[in-house]
Amino acid sequence: MTRRWYNCCMQTSGKQVGLADIFLTFAKIGITGFGGGMAIVALVERVCVREKNWIGPEEFLHGLAFGQILGPFSLNVCTFTGHHLRGVRGGITAAVGFILPSFLLVTLLSWLYFTYNKLPQLQAALKGTNPVIIGLIVVVALDMGRKQIKGFNSSLMALAAFAATVLLKLNAAWVLLAAAAWSLGLGIWQRRLK
Amino acid sequence: MAALLNLAWIYLRIGLMFVGGGYVLIPLLNHIMVEQYHWLTLRQFLDGLALSQLTPGPLAMLATFTGFRAGGFPGALVATLFIFLPCVVLMLTVGRHYHRLKEIDLIKNTLDGLLPAVVGLVAAAAWNLGASSLSGATEFIILAIGFAIFKWTKVSPMLVILGAGLAGLLIN
Repeated sequence: MTRRWYNCCMQTSGKQVGLADIFLTFAKIGITGFGGGMAIVALVERVCVREKNWIGPEEFLHGLAFGQILGPFSLNVCTFTGHHLRGVRGGITAAVGFILPSFLLVTLLSWLYFTYNKLPQLQAALKGTNPVIIGLIVVVALDMGRKQIKGFNSSLMALAAFAATVLLKLNAAWVLLAAAAWSLGLGIWQRRLK
Repeated sequence: MAALLNLAWIYLRIGLMFVGGGYVLIPLLNHIMVEQYHWLTLRQFLDGLALSQLTPGPLAMLATFTGFRAGGFPGALVATLFIFLPCVVLMLTVGRHYHRLKEIDLIKNTLDGLLPAVVGLVAAAAWNLGASSLSGATEFIILAIGFAIFKWTKVSPMLVILGAGLAGLLIN
């Protein structure tokens, strides 16, 4: 068992991240993360795990697992990361920072829509961002995979989760609960053997 | 004021119900907004759905749209605040207990053990997004360029996305 787990939790000894810094970082993610959902997750991974070292890769993935079980995971991942940095205030700051740009945008678009009864032509912009977002998610999945997928068992689990979502269209929350049950069962069984 | 309190209560209940899966939200909001309160026609509801998917926020930004219709700017604010309140509180609670739970070996091992499944889900998201939005050669070329930039350079991903959005506007 590796011990790198413990290294990433030791950052409380370092300098505290300011709330303003948290707010601005998540607001930027909230402005640019077109594509929503996993696009946000990939952005938070790049910015908060890679660039800023705000949260360890395993902790981030745990937060993502919880976030997927508990509803809107793009927002949940932001809340979790913010909480990791500065407790409840940090979590709320990150959540507000992330939602605010979308809130203002939707309010503006709603006002235009109910005034002129027309949808704005923003779909064209999404035609450019969607492929790039897919590229970003693939890169993040590859990087995560290189770290987390080692050996036969974990490859099998990753493939099963992929297939269950893509082919069987299963809800991510159920896939994760099944994976958790499997992993817990395996743990108990291995403990018995000792 | 009473109307806003009513809105807050409606969206708080919706927020509680959609903990567990985002797509419960669409039929639920459709039922409440269109059939029960007649705040929106079905057409407006579908337009609002498309509109809220234009933003980086979660699908639940639909609450902002429907709240705006029901009560203007204050309505939008109240709806957004209360639909997200339950999941933010839940995630903060998870965050609070996470470090203590992680000290327990069995829980830590279970959490670590399911990480490959999380990676599988991330890859699946890329696949599903690709299946629904990649149609022409241009898009595959943009995908390849994006992949190369993210993989081998340190350019800020936000800049790349904004650039791609501009390119999309210019090309189409």
